Amino acid sequence: MHYAFAIMKAVPFDRSVLKVNQVILMVGIVAAHVVGLAHNQAAVVLPVLAVMMLAGMVSPQLNAPRLLYLHALKPWGIVRPRVVHEDPAPHRFAQLLGGVFLAGASIAALASALVVAWVLAWIVVVLAFLNFAFNLCVGCIVYAQLVKLGVLPLSRASAA
Amino acid sequence: MSLLALAPLIAIAVVGGVALVLRVQRNRQLVLLGQVVETHVSRRAAPSILYFTGANCTICHTAQEPALRALATGLDASVQIREVDVASEPGLARRYRVMSLPTTVVLDAEQTVRHINVGFATATTLRAQLIEAGLPVAA
Repeated sequence: MHYAFAIMKAVPFDRSVLKVNQVILMVGIVAAHVVGLAHNQAAVVLPVLAVMMLAGMVSPQLNAPRLLYLHALKPWGIVRPRVVHEDPAPHRFAQLLGGVFLAGASIAALASALVVAWVLAWIVVVLAFLNFAFNLCVGCIVYAQLVKLGVLPLSRASAA
Repeated sequence: MSLLALAPLIAIAVVGGVALVLRVQRNRQLVLLGQVVETHVSRRAAPSILYFTGANCTICHTAQEPALRALATGLDASVQIREVDVASEPGLARRYRVMSLPTTVVLDAEQTVRHINVGFATATTLRAQLIEAGLPVAA
């Protein structure tokens, strides 16, 4: 079999970056929701977190949780590294999924559909919790299902 | 209690519902364990692997195929690894209730389904499953 692109091997991947991202999401959304029960303005957290998730997809240099981990949490010994060898693509897709959900929540909040906004945000919390506590990456499962259905706009160059 | 305060419960219900659907799908697949799905195929000399893949399955091409190649180099020639494109053979994919790609199915020499791996399976995992399905350890 030949491929027109270099086959990506499993690469060293520090799962602690994921854990930091998940904690920020969970704490941020839960705290904002509690405040949001009294003050609707707390929904401003949703677009902030959406930008954080989506920016991290664009470039590692824009990945705020990663920068926080590398420059503070790891050197200060607060979070230990957990390096594994795996394909990071499904985790990036899961991050994209979270960013899209939060972007949708932000749009719903702008449209004053606050219940929809917070339900979408809490779905992100639940999925982040499942990944944090049980290493269950629902986004990875969705990724596989969408690839199977041919929905994902992923393509590879024609096989040689 | 306002709907807003119930947002966490609604979210849990939604995620739980999706998890239930995925679980039901997986259980339908696990029912195949210990069964012969392709009754028309005669007994082989050794266990075999069915590898379900698709053109747009990036993980299939970048991870699963290298793992299968690594596995194949250490196996006896009688062990067959058969690649199945779900688009070309949808009936076979349906018979094995393939719900995600890649999926690898380990069959023993009697064509009985012994393991079904949903998602990427390492060469080490597949080799252990082949041994459990009757592959001689020295192979």
